[in-house]
Amino acid sequence: MQSEKHIASAFDRDLEAIQAMIMKMGGLVEAAILDAAQALESRDEELAERVRAADRAVDALEDQINTEAARLIALRAPTAGDLRTALTVIKIAASLERCGDYAKNLAKRSTVLAQMSPIGDTAGGIRRMAKAVELLLKDALDAYIHRDIELAEDVRRRDREVDQMYNSLFRVFLTHMLEDPRNITACMHLHFIAKNIERMGDHATGIAEQVIYLVNGAMPEEPRVKGDITSVTLLDGSQ
Amino acid sequence: MNDMRIAERDVDSMESKITARKVQVFYGQNHALKDVDVDILDKTVTAFIGPSGCGKSTFLRCLNRMNDTIDGCSVKGSIKLDSEDIYDPKVDPVQLRAKVGMVFQKPNPFPKSIYDNVAYGPKIHGLTRNKAELDEVVETSLRKAALWNEAKDRLQSPGTGLSGGQQQRLCIARAIATSPEVLLMDEPCSALDPIATAQVEELIDELRSQFSVVIVTHSMQQAARVSQRTAFFHLGNLVEYGETGQIFTNPKDPRTESYITGRIG
Repeated sequence: MQSEKHIASAFDRDLEAIQAMIMKMGGLVEAAILDAAQALESRDEELAERVRAADRAVDALEDQINTEAARLIALRAPTAGDLRTALTVIKIAASLERCGDYAKNLAKRSTVLAQMSPIGDTAGGIRRMAKAVELLLKDALDAYIHRDIELAEDVRRRDREVDQMYNSLFRVFLTHMLEDPRNITACMHLHFIAKNIERMGDHATGIAEQVIYLVNGAMPEEPRVKGDITSVTLLDGSQ
Repeated sequence: MNDMRIAERDVDSMESKITARKVQVFYGQNHALKDVDVDILDKTVTAFIGPSGCGKSTFLRCLNRMNDTIDGCSVKGSIKLDSEDIYDPKVDPVQLRAKVGMVFQKPNPFPKSIYDNVAYGPKIHGLTRNKAELDEVVETSLRKAALWNEAKDRLQSPGTGLSGGQQQRLCIARAIATSPEVLLMDEPCSALDPIATAQVEELIDELRSQFSVVIVTHSMQQAARVSQRTAFFHLGNLVEYGETGQIFTNPKDPRTESYITGRIG
């Protein structure tokens, strides 16, 4: 955050309030991801229900952030770094809202999956993947609040690890489905969950890119390395 | 990506109209401007912004030698208008000011008729041969200043009887009647209401198809609205000069950022 204060101190208060909302939203989404994955692994339907209910608060925060950002733009005519702050909070709020939806969807599917027999240790694999993504999201938001480009770049690099976790889960699901068609329903649900967690990683990367835009005034130039290869993977797991 | 840019924001010409190098201004002991280097483009609106006392008006006044009239003021360095040094002893400041017109903060029409206000410059510079030509200059100038429709039926009434916004447009008509090449404006809208301000800003945008316009303004939003190039002055230094959109979204110098975001006054 820019250390120098505005002459109009209310302007600083507005900017700080909006960013505090982002951090609060980030905290809720991170908790939702971890809880949803936990509910899946421990077949805890009550926890899953709490995750689904908590998503309303995330949606409400996004609305509030958008309203406050629009108000700031209209009333304060922000420029330069202030303008970029107003623009990035809108985008980051949208990313967080998507992540919240994915976590809610994970919780929904975990309720269905609780009625079926587990597929090997895939639920554990998903929880580890969710933990990795939650860390990415946390670091992306830390990078945002500290305007830390190094950490943002690190988040962009580490998204690849999440992609690789998704690739290996994808193969495991294929194997289980080929082995026994009765696994297909559960595997389809699990695959959607894994794919959604992988998408959350992309959103964390998007937030990291917003940090780079906020600090440098331009989006990062080098394209991000893509690690998700499942779109070119064949049925036998080969490429 | 570049071809997707909004055309209106582009400048029409990359040719320099005014080239200033190492310009220094002293008011007695007071060092008001320090080593200002700037290229002002032809057919472009250039805005000078900065806190009070930063030197922006001083620099503007160097461009048509208005500082000559201030005792104890000395100007060093070179300022060229189309490669001609305007501080060359051979240059007549009165002729120079016909080429580099100026509009001031407060509308200051002469206590004469609307017609005579506009006709004054062309008359004393002998730019017209007869009444018909002079009539034409008055009409075109008033038209360019977007005042013709309001003033054509009362050309003989006093200029001071117009509203503030109309008076300022009359002053602009007067400034452009001598066919200047550069128009300098020192806070032309600070005494005007928002509607009159919008009219003058619209006029500035139209004028840039013919002149190079340099405007000093305290309103950063005005600089952002009307100019294609912005120069930020601070404590007598030209801190940053660049494309207006870049200055307001991603300034390079932290001092510029602090000023335009309202952190230093």
